[in-house]
Amino acid sequence: MAKKNTFDYDLIVIGSGAGGSAAATIAAREGKTVAIIESSVFGGDSPNWGDVPTKALMHVANLYDEARHGARFGLRSSTLGYNYPSIRAWKELAVKRTGAGGNRKYYENQGINTFIGLAHFLSPNEISVNRRHLSASNFLIATGANWIIPKIPGLDTIKYLTPRTILETIRPPKSLLIIGGDDTGIEIAQLMATFGTKVYIVESANHLLPNHDIEVGELIGRVLSEQKGVTVLTHSQVVSIEKEGLGKRIIISRAGTEKSVRVDEVLVAVGRAPEVDLGLENAGVKYTDAGIKVNDFLQTNVKYIFAAGEVLGRNSQTHTALMESQVAANNIFHQPKIEPDYTAIPKVIFTNPSIATVGLSEDDCLKSKISIKKAVAPLSIIARSNTADFRDGFVKIITDKKGVILGASVVAPHAAEIIHELTLAVKYGLTAYQVADTPHAFLSWSEAVRVAASKLS
Amino acid sequence: MDIIKRGGDRHSEQFMRDKLHASIVAACLSVRTPIGQAEAIANAVCESVIAWLQQHPEVTSNDIRLVATKHLRIHNPEAAYLYEQHHITI
Repeated sequence: MAKKNTFDYDLIVIGSGAGGSAAATIAAREGKTVAIIESSVFGGDSPNWGDVPTKALMHVANLYDEARHGARFGLRSSTLGYNYPSIRAWKELAVKRTGAGGNRKYYENQGINTFIGLAHFLSPNEISVNRRHLSASNFLIATGANWIIPKIPGLDTIKYLTPRTILETIRPPKSLLIIGGDDTGIEIAQLMATFGTKVYIVESANHLLPNHDIEVGELIGRVLSEQKGVTVLTHSQVVSIEKEGLGKRIIISRAGTEKSVRVDEVLVAVGRAPEVDLGLENAGVKYTDAGIKVNDFLQTNVKYIFAAGEVLGRNSQTHTALMESQVAANNIFHQPKIEPDYTAIPKVIFTNPSIATVGLSEDDCLKSKISIKKAVAPLSIIARSNTADFRDGFVKIITDKKGVILGASVVAPHAAEIIHELTLAVKYGLTAYQVADTPHAFLSWSEAVRVAASKLS
Repeated sequence: MDIIKRGGDRHSEQFMRDKLHASIVAACLSVRTPIGQAEAIANAVCESVIAWLQQHPEVTSNDIRLVATKHLRIHNPEAAYLYEQHHITI
């Protein structure tokens, strides 16, 4: 009889963020021996340096902004101010209260062995963490991604910020140039502009948020420039950067002409690259710089090594990584294997107005040659825009020829909440008629969903 | 920094810069790179590999080869190809 290999663990999870944590917990609850390895702070990016701290700061910024503009409602706000160290303390409290940031004890209480250090595969079943060798019969790689530092002449000669380090600054800079006008770039642009920073955004595409429908990017660009004084430079590229006194001088190329801007700080937010530097060659796992290759069951070419989250290079949000982690946990230990369902994953940007999308965008449909119908309901036509004195936004719904909802974009206050009605519609193939026929409360922002849907039914 | 060698017993040895340097120089000379340039490239590659090793205290000799090839490719793609293909002893 063949000798059975024995390993230290049933499962080693590399990375304790959203892509790793759920699988580790599920496996431990099923009685498996599990180890989790984290190279930095337990909990990963989202609770420590991503979603949670950013949204805690955005909440304060929105509150401040609302109050500052309250004069039109009869509020006296002329003496309103802020204390940034106190705002940072609030952010730290929010991170601490999530329970996910630095939560090593949480895993240990569940019988999961925890290790801090960079994991490196030595062979297909063995990794090294701080010179300690650990083996397992299964692995889940959930190492996430890191901010990309583009090759811009002079960038390496200055001290620049990333979306992670800007959260630790003592105070908002007087002026800030953001390289990259996607989700994170515009969230930080609005955050800093609200606290008084003069912000410039440089984006190579022809509108902000190039991965969204053009209406979304154009509206948010207009809101940022008209209401927050942000200079939006689309169709632009940073040519070079150099130090100038205490600040930085940036040369920008726009429509064939060069422009020069002097700012106090530069923020690099051009996107994220999967963290694949963990000796994958020694395990025989196929990958590229764009991410680890997996099949529909999140399984790599090595059958007992799975991957989930940002390391797949799919620009996933925290809730997507969490779903993938749960799917991977099932597929590692159970049959039949299941596939993650990406059809109705909401994506949210917490600006003001906030932006939320689900399903297919108009561009996606065009690329896939899907015949569509679309309708846009501007916020200005619903009653809530009157009582809230807020008109910048819309709900856009895309259906197929039969009226089945394929995708939607919402730009509105509380878009993150509004989108879930449309998420349900996309997931379960509801028609625009069914959504329009559902009563929507008078004076809710969601009335715009009903209006858009009724245009298509 | 420990390098785990190939083979059944998986013995390890300390990283030796000179050994890596010599192998990079040999690869460069094989594609007729002037000796001075070969030395300069080898120094640059060694520095990059050592910087990478600071983050990875225990790696395999195959890892060293891959990382060295990646950096050598920037300076001399032909030598990198040779280095990658011919398994010059590190």
